[in-house]
Amino acid sequence: MNSSLYAKLAATNIRKNAKNYVPYILTCLITIMMFYMMCFLAKNTALRTMSGGDSLIMILGLGTVVIGIFAVIFLFYTNSFLIKRRKKEIGLYNILGMEKKHIAKVLAFESFYVAVLSISLGLSFGILLSKLMVLALGKMLSFKISFGFEISGSAVVTTLILFAAIFVLLLLNNLRQIHLANPIELLRGKQVGEKEPKTKWILALIGLVCLSGGYYISITTKSPLDAIGLFFIAVILVIIGTYCVFTAGSIAVLKVLRKNKRYYYKVNHFISVSGMIYRMKQNAVGLANICILSTMVLVMISSTVSLYIGFEDSLKAMYPWEIQVTGYDITKDEGETIEEVIKEITDSHQLEQKEIVTYRYMYQMAKQEGNQFLMTDADTYVYNDGAVLYMISLEDYNRLLGETNTLKPDEVFVYYTNNKLTDDTISFGKENYHIKAMANASEVNLVFSPDMVETYYIILPDKDAFAKINHELGNVTEDINRIQYFYGFNTDAPSEKQLAVFEDILALRRQADVEPFQSLRIQSSEYMRSEFLFLYGGLFFLGIFLGTLFLMATVLIMYYKQISEGNDDRERFEIMQKVGMSQEEVKKTIHSQVLMVFFLPIVAAAIHIAFAFNVITKLLAIFNLTNIALFATCTLVTLGVFIVFYALVYTLTARTYYRIVKQ
Amino acid sequence: MSLLEVKNLKKIYTTRFGGNQVQALSNVSFSVEKGEYVAIMGESGSGKTTLLNILASLDKPSSGEVLLEGKSLNTIKESEISAFRRNNLGFVFQDFNLLDTFSLQDNIFLPLVLSGKQYDEMKGRLQKIAAKLGISDLLNKYPYEVSGGQKQRAAVARALITNPLLILADEPTGALDSRATDSLLKLFTELNEEGQTILMVTHSTKAASHAKRVLFIKDGEVYHQLYRAGMSKEDMFAKISDTLTMIATGSARGGDLHE
Repeated sequence: MNSSLYAKLAATNIRKNAKNYVPYILTCLITIMMFYMMCFLAKNTALRTMSGGDSLIMILGLGTVVIGIFAVIFLFYTNSFLIKRRKKEIGLYNILGMEKKHIAKVLAFESFYVAVLSISLGLSFGILLSKLMVLALGKMLSFKISFGFEISGSAVVTTLILFAAIFVLLLLNNLRQIHLANPIELLRGKQVGEKEPKTKWILALIGLVCLSGGYYISITTKSPLDAIGLFFIAVILVIIGTYCVFTAGSIAVLKVLRKNKRYYYKVNHFISVSGMIYRMKQNAVGLANICILSTMVLVMISSTVSLYIGFEDSLKAMYPWEIQVTGYDITKDEGETIEEVIKEITDSHQLEQKEIVTYRYMYQMAKQEGNQFLMTDADTYVYNDGAVLYMISLEDYNRLLGETNTLKPDEVFVYYTNNKLTDDTISFGKENYHIKAMANASEVNLVFSPDMVETYYIILPDKDAFAKINHELGNVTEDINRIQYFYGFNTDAPSEKQLAVFEDILALRRQADVEPFQSLRIQSSEYMRSEFLFLYGGLFFLGIFLGTLFLMATVLIMYYKQISEGNDDRERFEIMQKVGMSQEEVKKTIHSQVLMVFFLPIVAAAIHIAFAFNVITKLLAIFNLTNIALFATCTLVTLGVFIVFYALVYTLTARTYYRIVKQ
Repeated sequence: MSLLEVKNLKKIYTTRFGGNQVQALSNVSFSVEKGEYVAIMGESGSGKTTLLNILASLDKPSSGEVLLEGKSLNTIKESEISAFRRNNLGFVFQDFNLLDTFSLQDNIFLPLVLSGKQYDEMKGRLQKIAAKLGISDLLNKYPYEVSGGQKQRAAVARALITNPLLILADEPTGALDSRATDSLLKLFTELNEEGQTILMVTHSTKAASHAKRVLFIKDGEVYHQLYRAGMSKEDMFAKISDTLTMIATGSARGGDLHE
């Protein structure tokens, strides 16, 4: 036989097996498309330059890794289904006189065709859809930045390498199975694999440990910055845990149930439990896939939706005033000039300044050891023991609150955000102060931009104290340790007017020969709104988009599961009917069994999400979303919608399954 | 009163598109007394399987009726038919029909579990039957771990555990080697001697020669029957063999034998 014959035979095989091959190629295609698009976004340079782009890139990078892992497992799963259905055919070839090496050649050609077809189509669709997606995203959010209508070369290469490797591995796995089997086994291929699975206690234990480790991390994570790094570890642990628990844990639990005679010997339990022990062997991976996919879909959609909905809150938290002016080393006179000039501008727009606030503060990063704050370099900022100190003079404090508090030269007021100080002495390097009063920052109307690490507001008695503390905590960079001037106000004017005022102030800064104006930082919450919308809207879009894709994968897995299970179960139910089980009971049992298989992953996903809730709220805090109630609502609503969709697929599937079994 | 009475059974199948009608059973009547051991023989297509399906209440006759202890199967409601089948009939099949997902013990328990029996009661019943069938040591094994003969014994145990009025066996020796066949037939004879009524459909002359009475079915009718009475198995075997030859060759004397 020459090789063109193998090639032809392989092509004919694919055509003849279209019923099995088309969904398989489609699966490969969609997976490749998904991976390319995720990779494309993760490597996108435009995203990186956006404000908050780094975290986004990191999340997308995590997404790429997860899709990569998912692709390997998912393709192995669908491939095993395919090869199982084709064993009979391959056995026939063997019996008709083809040697195994000939069969191997045919299979290699088949894999080659499938690989070329699905990779080329997957990449084309990926490129096409990534453009479409960017176009749609641009239209939805009216981009100012060109999001890059580009083909990412490195994403193409990554996709090619990964999937070429996967296809080679799949081929090797198929060859291994065929090589090990004799023709008779191949002919009966579909019937083998019915041996009772062993209980793997160690694997089940590993699963539990990983799962509880992941849960523990996500529950105990306190600061948003920890969350970024730990979230990844927790996700990996939970994924490993889910696979182990589904594969080994489920069988262990079912076997324990079987040991309980009172429970086991009841009509429903009897048939479901025994059936499930066998089903789990083939389906555990599929169910774990569904569970992880569902969790991802739910987390992604609920968090991006709540970011999108809550973006007004985030904006308000970041920019409490409509117009904010900040600058360093502004003297009292300069401050008054700034306020006067800006007042003139608002007056010229017939607007009234409301809720005007002016104060000066010093911003310090420090290493915290109990009640002691020490000099630090900027990198320490990200670690657990880093803290942020806002220092305000008593004078400004009293003016802001309209109170008349007093402090002795060695006394301070302290406001904390999360962690109370334990002692009544606070020290900055070698400088010690007595804490006259301490309260939670939420009890006082001090508005600063929220920080991701522990933040303290310190009310200092006089200028001397500022100088001393500045000296002790060091000059990290010049900007940071200087006294900062803040001036903010609201106008309650419509958006265009606010922007007009903002433009005028900016223009003034460009022209003014008055010294302080040139170094001022001027911010407008209205101006930032579009940037926020862009970022959060982009994430929202991405969440919905990927959510939909993952949902498609879930449906595909269901399709395979139902076909293979229905065919396997048909014989069993036939026997049971002969032995005296009624149609009604068969129907009931089928429903309870399908129900169990269907809702096991979704229940597990719900548990994952309940545990992940804490760490996700911390991650959302990076995006300045602190409205936990909103996120909780979004999560519940997403879960609800998902369950409704899932129940729909379930009823359809149960019907199909019943039809297959009844044949 | 006979245990089982079959009266003028007729079964006509209509092909799917309504055109042709196929008569599987034209007019079958016979009765089985309590404690009998009856074999039904016939060639492929003679209507054996149809008859058995109707007796097992898996199928309904076009006309005529089947009475079990005087109760017509036609009058049983659809919703009760499975329970009826479970409680009154025991089945033994050619291909065993054991579930690979259950151990032999659980396979045997299946009809009792379906009837909602308690574990202790099931266990009690099983012990006696398993001892009698010599499968006590195999109960925790799975069907794919034991031989064909052992599987069929487990299937017999499953049929017996409900204490059925009647055991319906469909080619029970069809998939067994000769040693397993011998021991199964011996088992059936023993069961029958203890009073168990057995109705067996078979191709095998050897299997039929163990029965007390053999019915021959041809073209949907009971064509002939043989009583063993005092005959030895060997004589019975010869007699059945002759009858089969006669049926197959359609000998003119066939009419004379017809009762």
